[in-house]
Amino acid sequence: MTASQTLQRPGPPPAPGQADARIPAVPPRRSRRPVALIAASLAVACVLALPLVFLLIEARGAGTAAVAHLIFRRLTADLLWNTVRLTVVVTALCAVIGTAAAWCVERTNLPGRRVWAVLVVVPLAIPDFVVSFGWASLWTWVQGFRGAVVVMTLAVYPLVYLPVAASLRAADPGQEEVARSLGVGRVRTFARVTLAQARGAILGGCLLVAMVLLAEYGAFEILGYQTFTTEIFTEFNVSFSIPAACALSLVLVLLSLLVLAGEGMLRGRGRVTRGGPLAARRMPPHRLGRATLPVLAGFAALTALALGVPVGASVYWIFEGGAHAIGGVSLSAAALHTAMYGIGAGILDTAAALPIALLVLRHPGRLRLLLERSTYLVLAMPGVVAAFALSYFAERYANGFLYQSAPLLVVCYAIMFFPLALVGVKASLSRAPASLDEMARSLGQRRLAVLWRVTLRLAGPGLAAAFCLVFLSVVTELTATLLLVPTGVQTLATQFWAYETNLSYGQAAPFALVMIAVAAVPSYVLGRFFDRSAHAQT
Amino acid sequence: MTQLVVTGLHKAFGDHPVLTGLDLEVPAGSLTAILGPSGSGKTTLLRVLAGFERGDAGTVTIGGSVVDGPDAHLAPERRQIGYVPQEGSLFPHLTVAANVGFGLPPRQRKGPAIAELLDAVGLAGLGKRYPHQLSGGQQQRVALARALAIQPKIVLLDEPFASLDAHLRASVRADVQALLAETGVTGILVTHDQDEALSTADRVAVLRDGRIVQCDAPQDLYDRPADADIARFIGDANLIEGVLGTDTVDTILGRLRIEPACLDSLGPGNGAAPGTVRSGPATVLVRPEQIELHADDAGARPPTPGWPGVDGDHELSGRVVSYGYHGHDAVIHVQPDHDSAAPTIIVRTLGGPQLPPGAPVTLHARGPVLAWPDAST
Repeated sequence: MTASQTLQRPGPPPAPGQADARIPAVPPRRSRRPVALIAASLAVACVLALPLVFLLIEARGAGTAAVAHLIFRRLTADLLWNTVRLTVVVTALCAVIGTAAAWCVERTNLPGRRVWAVLVVVPLAIPDFVVSFGWASLWTWVQGFRGAVVVMTLAVYPLVYLPVAASLRAADPGQEEVARSLGVGRVRTFARVTLAQARGAILGGCLLVAMVLLAEYGAFEILGYQTFTTEIFTEFNVSFSIPAACALSLVLVLLSLLVLAGEGMLRGRGRVTRGGPLAARRMPPHRLGRATLPVLAGFAALTALALGVPVGASVYWIFEGGAHAIGGVSLSAAALHTAMYGIGAGILDTAAALPIALLVLRHPGRLRLLLERSTYLVLAMPGVVAAFALSYFAERYANGFLYQSAPLLVVCYAIMFFPLALVGVKASLSRAPASLDEMARSLGQRRLAVLWRVTLRLAGPGLAAAFCLVFLSVVTELTATLLLVPTGVQTLATQFWAYETNLSYGQAAPFALVMIAVAAVPSYVLGRFFDRSAHAQT
Repeated sequence: MTQLVVTGLHKAFGDHPVLTGLDLEVPAGSLTAILGPSGSGKTTLLRVLAGFERGDAGTVTIGGSVVDGPDAHLAPERRQIGYVPQEGSLFPHLTVAANVGFGLPPRQRKGPAIAELLDAVGLAGLGKRYPHQLSGGQQQRVALARALAIQPKIVLLDEPFASLDAHLRASVRADVQALLAETGVTGILVTHDQDEALSTADRVAVLRDGRIVQCDAPQDLYDRPADADIARFIGDANLIEGVLGTDTVDTILGRLRIEPACLDSLGPGNGAAPGTVRSGPATVLVRPEQIELHADDAGARPPTPGWPGVDGDHELSGRVVSYGYHGHDAVIHVQPDHDSAAPTIIVRTLGGPQLPPGAPVTLHARGPVLAWPDAST
């Protein structure tokens, strides 16, 4: 120790001229820039920026004064209040429920943990508007703010649960033991160590929740709750008042910018580091003891409310409205279309997220990080804006060639759900550390061979998870689908919506159930993926 | 023949210079240790050699061709350099055999060469296991086999033994040494452990402040360190004050003969004829094993006050401060009696009775020693 200290101590300072002579006069050589990656990332970012570009072009066309007039009015203030209070309340509730559930499943001896781990995630497969339909069709008190809080919390809390569970699994449980050995009690250890470990994941989950809330349309339409997004949809689709919709969209984008910036600030410099990969070790789970029964009851209640009510309501309406003939052909045709669109968007997104994820993980830089963060703005773009942007471009620059065509719809989905794919792809790539790539290259493998033989092999399961995330988002998407679906084609969501708005609950219900079934498969795969990654850690 | 030549290598990360004009030559077939404390730029040097980083200035030449220079940069995959990182970095999705065969052309990946290599590193029969089923030492052996499989020009070992247990470290180290000698591959071993460097390598290069300050055979490095800091870094050292004489130096341990090889480098006048009169204060290196220690009977000798005389066969009395028992030897710190503020003297003894703190002892030093004149202030 002393030896190394003395050696580090700078020796007698050399003569000034001598020191200068050693500093090279030539500018430092740069390592090769990842040109291909940067080009691909920029291309992806440009496509993602299309909705915003459309928004600005339209707003410019309408004139600054007109837009300002449309923004500064009573309606905007009401919408702002509605949107903000709902976002704050639901995000907070989701953070508490999602984190508590994740901790119980990952760190305690809760009976039936494997089963709960799946059941808790499955609500992600139920479209928000189906949850909304389930509650509102059974009980009339479920409407307005109160209804929106209940429905949205139950619909989106898995967005917090999933990342928190994953991070709790990856975090070093030894830190908790160290805290306890330093004389810190159980509760304070939870607050100071466990929550700190999961902090980034909680914030990331909350960001997703807030963004979903800002962009939700169907659920609020059923509940009669007015937010920016529902109003924008009405202005676009019913009143055909493009300038008004653009003005409101601008405010909504600003709001999401604030959310993004807030999350970035809260996240701060808190990075979770862990010891060497060899040190991974499973800690004996916390014993729930007397709390076992209440906690079990809590999980049962959560499952009943988030899963039981929507599914139960759908089953109930099938029998209640049994007189209607169920169109078997239309159901399978709708399911097929939905699945095709989902697969297309999933593949497109996973492929598009790869270059950006590789860029920020392997060649980080301020501008590159900004590029990556900018793609999250897409989440705040209501589906309706993305849909209109693409049809606008198709009409304007492709002579309406692609308007209301399947490729356009798939691209629209891909834009909307890109951030989900990016999160998944980044998580999967971080399992393929750069050191292994370097190792492979020093063993004589070229870049592409390394990508194929090492990076993609290690990241494979995570890439599949990213694909699943996009797929199930497409299955449960309504707004953009309503606007862009090719003429004469029905997806599960649009057909459900047609029946639902018609109050034909009995005919709507089967579509809801099939949607849940189709989306449940990828959610199950997702759950298994996160479960398996835990076992790979041990 | 020289396998690797590095000249004037600079590398900075942002404003933080790491390598500042590093020169190094590594003979073909040798095992050279790069020894330096953590943060001295060892890993950066290896990463530049492997091609993962580019130097800011300077050149790296391997086997006569420039791989990193003002106009050239050879990609890592074309350098034929085997790299064994500290943590092994085995591919977790591949079996041991597939890991070893990773860098080979597809047809040879399942050939007998893999089994031979596994046999050579003492892991015969484990080819079908996965990395997580191996112990740390086994993982290191696989990483070495994988690096050797591509028949590299040079193998870079980045603190490969740091994560191993003491007993495991010795055996893995010996195996690595034997294997490199057998295959004749040039090896570069990076370490912060001077024992490891001295016992494993043919040559040891000391890295300090981004430069190689000395590169010698282990024995030469230990016996003739270039300056006091290196002396202290390579093994235990007593660095005591002294006053230079013609070919002796006067210290609290008496008048000690100066190593003849060291005389040349002492001022005034390099290469001065024997008998040149020297003077002035100096720092003197006395290794702990150069000092004999005798236990006194309790109270038999009163402490000698003041600066002792400088006659030829001087003895220094003191008291034991601490006694560190290491089995094969013991390291004893002794506080000289004449000055309680003086630095303690380190003595290494073989056997002898255990001495409690406070026990009176007598020290007697044997030359020759090294001395460096103090910079005039």
